[in-house]
Amino acid sequence: MIVRLAWRSIWRNRRRTIITTISIGFGLAFALFFISFADGVYVQMINDGVRVQAGHVTIEHRDYRDAPAVDLYLAQSTPIRERIAKLPDVESTKLMLLGQGVAKTGLGTVGVAVIGVEPSSEARTSPLVKQIIDGRYLMDEDDALVVVGEKLAARLKLKVGKKLVLTTNDANGALTEELCRVAGIFKTGVDEIDGYLMQAPLSFLRRLYKLPPDGATQLGVVLKKPEAQKRVMSQIKPMLKDTPAAVYPWQEILPELASYVKLDKGSNVIFQAILMFLIFFTIFNTILMSILERQKEFAVLLAVGTRPSSLRGQILLESFFLGLIGTCLGLLVGGLASYALQVYGLDITKFYGEGVSISGFAISPIVHARLTPGLVLTVGGLVLAVTIILSLIPMRRATNISIADTLR
Amino acid sequence: MKSIVKLTGVTKNYGQDEVIVKALRGVDLDIEPGEFTAMAGPSGSGKSTLLNIIGGLDRPTSGEVQVEERPINTLSRTKLSRLRRDRIGFIFQSYNLIPVLTAMENAEYVLMLQGVPIKTRREKVMEILKEVGLEDLENRFPRELSGGQQQRVAIARAIASEPALVLADEPTANVDSKTASGLLDLMAALNRDKGVTFLFSTHDHKVMERASKLLWLRDGRISYSGPPIKDLEGL
Repeated sequence: MIVRLAWRSIWRNRRRTIITTISIGFGLAFALFFISFADGVYVQMINDGVRVQAGHVTIEHRDYRDAPAVDLYLAQSTPIRERIAKLPDVESTKLMLLGQGVAKTGLGTVGVAVIGVEPSSEARTSPLVKQIIDGRYLMDEDDALVVVGEKLAARLKLKVGKKLVLTTNDANGALTEELCRVAGIFKTGVDEIDGYLMQAPLSFLRRLYKLPPDGATQLGVVLKKPEAQKRVMSQIKPMLKDTPAAVYPWQEILPELASYVKLDKGSNVIFQAILMFLIFFTIFNTILMSILERQKEFAVLLAVGTRPSSLRGQILLESFFLGLIGTCLGLLVGGLASYALQVYGLDITKFYGEGVSISGFAISPIVHARLTPGLVLTVGGLVLAVTIILSLIPMRRATNISIADTLR
Repeated sequence: MKSIVKLTGVTKNYGQDEVIVKALRGVDLDIEPGEFTAMAGPSGSGKSTLLNIIGGLDRPTSGEVQVEERPINTLSRTKLSRLRRDRIGFIFQSYNLIPVLTAMENAEYVLMLQGVPIKTRREKVMEILKEVGLEDLENRFPRELSGGQQQRVAIARAIASEPALVLADEPTANVDSKTASGLLDLMAALNRDKGVTFLFSTHDHKVMERASKLLWLRDGRISYSGPPIKDLEGL
């Protein structure tokens, strides 16, 4: 009967209960949607960033971070790479050669960043491959071919099939140059990338920079799940013993991206805390009002022999029902909205135009939410738990009343 | 015969320091089982305070209160709850039914608190509702009942657990005279047939005349205790 009493009591003031549960529900739905959306953006940013660059985990010469130059390369990468590729958490590995140089055509000269890649493995992981707007991406059998950014191509008046000369200093410091042709032109929408970056087959750049056959400045490790990063790093570390190489998390390789994500997550936490505070304040207010206006009823219940603890149980149950209805509503609405965003994504170019980037990292124009069972349980459980906790103060007040005074 | 209620030198003060209202000024009282006692007196004479103290809803400032020869002054809140649940029934002036429970559920509430199995308590409550003239109205909510019917439900709730004592605070004050008479008949019948001890406060002379014993309170003291009398002047 206590359950019946609690259930009917919350529906006695139907309008207030509906408003309260809708407030809880939509607050929770908004929080769930916002958090899953932000999570999705972070994951996508990190995923895109690490796949274009050197993976979730990167192996470099231990002095490379202090003075990035091609002479600090990994000389014998193949045996280590083979061992790493066998780790269960590893999706793929990629060798990269990062260099600087000057691209020249008859119509201009531009300083460029050049990345040597293994075309087939890059094609599997890098989003750049999908951003080719003219020509094609690189293939393993290519030699002196490059893909260039749209703005770089415009500045050098380059088109697919046209020639350019790439001039640089090799690993020994000597000036070197090679003639190459444009295989494709990509467009990320980010000026720093489209106007500055080119990719070429790793084998071609090894020849240009005078590196040994398996030499590379980076050995990147792309993971199946980013959460496995620490575990994989600890597995790789012993493999690098007695070599000049060291293993780094992507957060050290891409510090701007890591800082941005950290900062943005921090500001989101504040926003979410404000949102949650508003939800909880509404809940507290409703429960308090509901209890204050029923003091006489509680006094009668106590007068006829209800134990204070049973009355507290009834009030807790009422709060639980309110919280449960609001939580279910919120999870349903927020879950469906987030799930739709997870499946179909949102084209943010409608809001921000093309070429959305953060700290120079291009974000895919279609962003997806990331709705996980953990998030649903955490947010839903938190709202339900706090609803019950918030009823403790009014509950205490209700059971500590003077029965005689209240009934007078 | 053992007293069902025994009060010795009970006082009750309200307020603090200089603003003290003395609601009861040394009340001694004995009520024996089976009595049908009316308590009357001018407004502010301490009737409700006395009922609240006997029922364990309030504590006296001094003196001793015994219910069934058991001192209740020092009982904890939980023990007082148990005493009220098992030994005392309450009837209030404004009925005070639980609005979200039906007549049946209101009447069986105390039995539910006592842990009586649902089938047993339903059978018992149906019988009581029949006795108080509410058969066929058991599924109505309080808002669907008249004042007299609500008070009958309150009486059913008060006697359902077969308490030793029923305390009623002006039980007929909010109903018309015909309904009041009917309620009084009902309480008298329960007293006569089931031996339920009633102590009720009232302002109504007709109600006082129906009691087996009258207590007259004035300024926080019992100034008369005896059979009902018509001439209340000078009490």
